[in-house]
Order: sequence, then C-alpha cells, then structure tokens
Amino acid sequence: MRSPQSEAGTATLETTLMIVVLVPILFAILQFGDTFHRWLAQDAATVHAARYAGEVGGDTPEVRQLLGDSLRGAGIDPDRVTVQIEPARVGWREPIRVTVRSDVTVAIPFVLTTTFPLRSSAVARGEVER
Amino acid sequence: MSAVVRDERGSLALLTLLLLPALLVVLVGVLELGLVRLVAERARIAADLATLVAINDHDPRELARSGLLRPAADAETVARRYFALNLEAIAAELAASPDVVASTADVVVFADTPVLDARTGRRYDRPTVRLLADVPIRTPAFAVIARPITTISILSASSAR
Repeated sequence: MRSPQSEAGTATLETTLMIVVLVPILFAILQFGDTFHRWLAQDAATVHAARYAGEVGGDTPEVRQLLGDSLRGAGIDPDRVTVQIEPARVGWREPIRVTVRSDVTVAIPFVLTTTFPLRSSAVARGEVER
Repeated sequence: MSAVVRDERGSLALLTLLLLPALLVVLVGVLELGLVRLVAERARIAADLATLVAINDHDPRELARSGLLRPAADAETVARRYFALNLEAIAAELAASPDVVASTADVVVFADTPVLDARTGRRYDRPTVRLLADVPIRTPAFAVIARPITTISILSASSAR
C-alpha cells in the first residue's frame, strides 16, 4: 500500500502531463484565431487604401494616412508594416495595387515560437482623368 | 480500498494519451475551419471590390447626355478581371486558378432598373453589377471526412450612386 504522499506525487505528475498537452492546444487555438483576425483586419485596411488610392490617383500622403489609421484601429502598428503602392501615379481606368506586409509572432508554450508573414493585397482602378 | 486507489493510479495520464489523437484532430479541424472562413472572407472582399470597380466604370457619354448613370459596356469584363486580380492574394489556398474562378462566375450587369434578379430574388432600384461565384478552397485536413476541397458560394452586388 502506498502512502498519501506518493498518491499526491502521482496526481501532480499526471496534472503536469495534462498541462503540457492541453495548454499548447489551447494556446494554438487562441494564437491562430488572433492571427486570422489580424489578417482580416489588415485585408480590410488594404482594400480601403486601394480604393482611396484609385480615387485620388495614386500613392499620396492621404492614402498612407488612411492606411495607417485603419491599421492602428485594428491594433496593428503601422510603423511595423511594409506598404507598397504600384504604380505611384495612376490614370483613368488603370489598375492600382496596394500591398501590405507584416509579421505576426505566434508563441505556443512548450512547442514553438515563430513568426508568420501576413500579406494583404488589393487591386482597385484609377478614377482620376488626367 | 487500497486496491481501487492503486488501480486508478496513472489512469488520467493514460486517458490523456488516449485522447491526444482526438484532441489533435479537433485542433487541426478548428484551424482548418478558421482558414476556410478566412479565405471565404477574402474571396468576398475580392468580389466586393470587383463589383465596385465595375459599377464605378459608368458610361460618361450617357451621363453627359441624359444625366443617368449607366454601367459601361465592358462592366462585366471589368468585374471578372478585377475579381481575378484580387483573388490572386489567396491563389495558394484555392483549388482552381483565380482566372478560372472569375471566368466561371455568374456576373450580370443590370443597366435598366428597377429589376428583379431571378437568380437571387433581390430587387435592384439602381444600375447594379452582381457577381455570384463558387470558390473552391483546398482543405487537406478535411480529406479525412472526404472533403479535400470545400466549395463556398459568394454573392456581391454593387449599385451606382
């Protein structure tokens, strides 16, 4: 017959094993959910920026400002994203593409800590007749 | 009593190990489902942008002549082209190329309004570009339930203002 102390040790070991298995699963769901949410928010900001860039005819400070505000509103630091607007000046009915790249860190206890690149891209059409 | 306690020793650890495959399947399923929702949302965004671009391309001559907004003659082509261009961002997740998805989409330009869209049952009071598309998404984790490709339908309609 084992002592109560020994039983307690077994329970602690079993709990530890469970934590090592269950906590990463829980964190993986939360972290990837957050990443998906961030990706969608970045996409929405990119689409708005592309439409606005088409309206004003290209890469202007106003477009960058709008994009920065949208990203900030979604909890993304605009200083940590790369923005590409091509072409810089767009004419009537010409396509304009806005691409936003950022990195998101996913940290899952006991398993991994890694960085995923998030890329959003939207193509709108120039609406300024030059 | 001591025999019962002894028998239960380690059972939790064993149970956890036995449940581990099931938990992993749930995890992978949840992530895959999240990815499908994400791709579906991005496809919807692509469709919205495509119909907006198409309806914004109104006929300037008709506007000058009658003051009415009428979609340009190439509005359908423009909608398909911009749908394909905007799907490129998720091309890796799709089971068909963006060009194929866009070319098989049901795009209708309603220039004369009011009109009832027979396909969707919606009524449009202003000139509208409507896009209805089936978007096949790769879902390798769903292959275990015989769904390696999940097809979602997206609908987008933009009216002139």
